[in-house]
Order: sequence, then structure tokens, then C-alpha cells
Amino acid sequence: MSATPTVRRWAAAFTLTAGLLAGAKAYAGPVDKVGFIYVGPRTDYGYNYAMDQGRQEMEKALGVKTVFFENIPENSEVERVMERLSSQGFKLIFPTSYGYLDPALKVAAKHKDVIFMHAGGFKLAPNLGTFFADIDEVEFLSGMAAGAATKTGKLGFIAAHPIPQTLRNINAFTLGAQSVNPKATMTVVWTGTWSDPAKEAEAANSLIDQKVDVLTMHVDGPITIAQTAEKRGVMVCGYHADASKFAPKGWLTGSAWNWGPLMTAITKSVQAGTWKSEHLRGKLKDGYVKLASFGPMVPDSTKTAIAAKQKAYASGTALWTGPIKSQDGTVVLKEGEVMPLEKVESMGFLVQGVTGTLK
Amino acid sequence: MDVGTFVIGLSLSALRSATPLLYVLLGETLSERAGVVNLGVEGQMLAGALTGFAVTVLTGQPWIGCLAGAMAGLLLSSLHALLSLGLRANMFASGVAVWMLGGGLTAYFGTGFVGQKIDGFSGLKLKGLERFPVLNEAMAQITPTVLLVLFVWPLVGFWLYRARAGLTWRTVGESAETAAGLGLNPIRIRLQAILAGGALSGLGGAALSVDYTRNWIEWMTAGRGLIAVGLVIAARWNPFLALPAALLFGGTEALTLRLQALGVNASPYLLATLPYLVCLAVLIWGTRRAHGRGGMPRDLAAVFSRTE
Repeated sequence: MSATPTVRRWAAAFTLTAGLLAGAKAYAGPVDKVGFIYVGPRTDYGYNYAMDQGRQEMEKALGVKTVFFENIPENSEVERVMERLSSQGFKLIFPTSYGYLDPALKVAAKHKDVIFMHAGGFKLAPNLGTFFADIDEVEFLSGMAAGAATKTGKLGFIAAHPIPQTLRNINAFTLGAQSVNPKATMTVVWTGTWSDPAKEAEAANSLIDQKVDVLTMHVDGPITIAQTAEKRGVMVCGYHADASKFAPKGWLTGSAWNWGPLMTAITKSVQAGTWKSEHLRGKLKDGYVKLASFGPMVPDSTKTAIAAKQKAYASGTALWTGPIKSQDGTVVLKEGEVMPLEKVESMGFLVQGVTGTLK
Repeated sequence: MDVGTFVIGLSLSALRSATPLLYVLLGETLSERAGVVNLGVEGQMLAGALTGFAVTVLTGQPWIGCLAGAMAGLLLSSLHALLSLGLRANMFASGVAVWMLGGGLTAYFGTGFVGQKIDGFSGLKLKGLERFPVLNEAMAQITPTVLLVLFVWPLVGFWLYRARAGLTWRTVGESAETAAGLGLNPIRIRLQAILAGGALSGLGGAALSVDYTRNWIEWMTAGRGLIAVGLVIAARWNPFLALPAALLFGGTEALTLRLQALGVNASPYLLATLPYLVCLAVLIWGTRRAHGRGGMPRDLAAVFSRTE
């Protein structure tokens, strides 16, 4: 694993902001205590679970003390938590939910000697940066396993809301499936909420009734969908965390976060005084996201093909390279054309072969 | 696309989605017919969901889990009884307190159970049905809590309309004063009704976690308890109408997902509001047909309007 994070420096887009804010110097020096704030329970087996795994790994790697807060709503409450941590000598705080961005900016403005690293946000302050990882590459690999395994050629994606992050995952997964099985189609069912297991179960059932035989998802936790798939005898690819034990027969693989190395690198950079206010985006080749374990139904030939693709990504192949067409056949990217990063981060279309409505 | 398959799929789906809701709806009907609104059902449902799941994890027995879930709902509803009957607190404030307490406590104590695995119930297997694969597969999707609620449903109806004790409950709901004049003890009867409602809402929660989703996550009821309170009104406080009301909501919810799975081009945002719109429409239609009170017990009506 490489020591320096692959960094996408969004310098151009943020020159203005950075210029306005220049002059202030961020904290550099010993970090005894690091604070983590989660929007849900750290045992959710999804997003927050992955964040907490990262925290534990960082704690072990660097020997710093960490403190975490769970179930903190994205309102004035998270502000209070950050306020308290800031005045208690915490030099580095990780507000890990998307909605923590504005409260974090507010607290960061008051406590200039504390560094905030927000997960997934898109704004900066002299003492606030953001981090995230490109999980869509893993979704592509996961989609390859699905495309190779499907017998009906019909895949199903259960997702909460049509936002750029979910669209990226749906498109990447579908492209992956089509790369090994050009006839594979994808049907999307939106549940309208990040966490409603009953709706997730019913969405899974309705897709299975339509002869979909591989399911995947982008909701808070993969458990209900994995179990429903197993119960009905179809296959499943996970998201957020390895849920193979919930579908011992039908589990193919899945995308999982691996925040430990990135969190360790960030903390180290603060200690060394090299921390910068920027948007850090980890990639698959650095191990910041990873493929979950393979299930018993994935043949070696598929594993080899996935490994080859993974290697290609590591050597710099861009996922969002043309030809890519949208649902109605409109050319989004011409042969060989690479999608600019800001377009990727604000994705608003579904690729050809996907059935699903955006608005 | 086979119409028959779609109809069977949708019916099963509606029944499954409606099941947890129907337990809660029947429970709330009981307590409202005795004159007590309980907004705490959402919290009681969550208590039932967590306790049911946790006990199933610990014992490996889904039935014991469901029983424990019902007990948890009953226990939490006793707080509503204490506040609203014992201390004469406003029943809406008390219900909201129970709702929030149930949500908070289960979120706190539930963290250790997130990500645990349970096996739940298995579906029905009927001998001789193998010859009809579609029907066989359909039956395999019907689980014990679905069957149980179909048994509880007429039972609640008979209790209220045919049993002597049920008659006294309704009497208390219409007028506690008259009931007291007849030598009944309204407080005791309302207590019984609240606890019965509590047990049913807890069982509904357990059906959701132990059977339907085999999963526990905080606030997993996602408003279904409150929906049930609304559906009581749509069903005009009539337990027999509770099944169609729950099916209507569950069915519409299932339909919104099934239309998407079919590839129908409709806005996911608008589809998500459909179950609520349908219920609202039924509510308005039902209230108009019933000329005003819509079957609301008289003492309950007095809570809303002092002029009646």
C-alpha cells in the first residue's frame, strides 16, 4: 500500500476560496486526542460501521487516543459536540456525515487551532479539509461478478435517492456487468429513504418477482436485502461492508470502505505539519476502498478478470472513459473521452441498459 | 409480463407490508374504542421490534421473540396508562413522551444487536402443492406472523362487538360518566385497553424485525406506528375495516415499488407520496360518508372538541 494518499487536488476550482482564506496557518504538532462523530450507530453494519473500523485501525497504527460520538443529528447538536471537543484539547476532529459540513465550518471558524476533516463535503476553510474515496471503481468490479453470474441477464439495484453518489454507483455497477455480459440490464428501485428495512425487503421481493437474479444496493445497511435475496434463492452484491454471512449461498462480492489508511495518513500529516486544507480522494489502488470477499458461486475465471481490471485501474485507467451512452442512447462520452472530475462528482444521468426514473 | 403473476406478487407483497401495521392498527383501535388515543404506539412498536429481535438472537426461537416483543410493547404502554390515566396528563403529550422514549431507549440499547443474524420463521410448505409451482412459491412467502394477524383480526372484531367485556369497553369509550353510573370502572377498563393495544403494537414491531426483515436498526418502524393511528380513523374505529385499511396502505406502498421494478416511468418522489395520498383520500371519503364523527367514540370526540 503506498504511503501517500492519491490526492485529487481541486486546486483550480478552489483557488478563489483558498486565496481569500490564505494567511491563516493551520495547527501542526502533537495530536493526543482525535474526535469522531457519527450520524448513526457505529454498529449499523454500513457507513458508520466502516468509519468506526477506520478509527480503530488508526488508533492502533498511531497509538493516539480517540473518542467517538454516535447518533449525533445533523443540526445544532453536532455543533455542540464539536464545540465541546474543540475546547477540550482535541486538535483533530472527523465529522463523518455529509450534513455535518456547515456546522463544522461554523465551529472551525471559531476554533482556528483545531483541524476538521469532513467526509465527502465540497467546501474548505483554512482549518477544514475533506476526505472521501472513489468507491465506483469497486462497484464496477462488483458489477463484473454480477454480470458473469446472472442467468436471466436481469440485475436489480435498490437505492435510497437519485443523487450523484447513487447514480455513480448504479452506472459503474451496470458498466461493469455489461463489460462481461453486454446483454445485462439493470432495474433501479428507489426506496426514498436511507433506512427502512421493510421497504428494502419489499423492493427486493418485487425485483425478484420480475426475474432479477442478482441484487445490489446503496442504502444504509446491506443486511435486509442480502437476507431477502438469500431467502428467495437469488444472488447479491453488497455495499458499505462485507455482509457475506447474511447470504452464505448467494453472496457474490461487494464494495467496502477501508478508511483506516486514509485516517492514519491524515493524522500523521497533522503531526508532521504537512496537513493542507484540501479535498482528499482515496482510490482503489491505494486500498482506501476494497472488494469484499468472494462468495462460493464466483468462478476463478471471474476472479481473474476482476483482478485484471483492478490492475488496469491501478495503472491509471479511468473508469469514466467513453464510449458511454445515457439511457435514451444519447452519447455522454465519445470513444476514448474521459469525463472531467467535476462532472463525475455531479453525475445526473443513468447509462444505457438501466431502467429507472430520475425525477 | 404475466398479469396473473403480477397480481399474485402484488397481493402477497401487500399482505406482507400490511402485517406489522395491522397488529398496531388493531391494538390502537382497541384502546381508542375505550376512549384513549395512544401516540406512543410508534415507541411501543420499536420496543417490540428490538426486544423481539434481541430475544430471538439470544434464544434462537422466533416465537419466544415475538412473545417477548408483545410484552415489551405492553410494558411501555403501561407508562402511557400511568401518565394519562393515573396522573391525568394530556393523552397526546403522554403519547408523544412514550413515542420518543421508546425510540431513544431502543436506539441506545439496540446498538449491540445491529448486524446480528437471526434465522426467523420459514415460509409455509403445504403437501401436494408442489404440482402448482406458482402457488407453491407464493405460499412459501407467507410467514407465521401473517397468518397470526389474520387470526387476530376477526378476534378483535368479535371482542368489541360480540363479547360482553368488549361492550363495556365501548361503553367506556362512548361515555366514561355513563359507564361509571352503570357500575363499571372506566379507569380499569381503559387500563386494560391500553395494555392490550400495547401488546399488539409490540407484536407488530416484532413481526417487522423478527419475521419481515430479520433485521434490527434504530427507528426501523419509520413512522408505521403513527400511520396506524391515522388508519384507525380511516377505518372509522371499526376493527373489521382495519384489514382493508392496512391492505390499502401496504398495497399502495408495495405498488410503488413494484411499478418501478416493472420499469414504469414514474417519478420516484411522487410514487413515494402515493400511500399517504390514498389514505388521505379514504379518510376524507370516509368522514364525509359518516357525517362528521366518522365512528369516533364520543368521549374521544370530546377530547378534540369541547362543544360536542
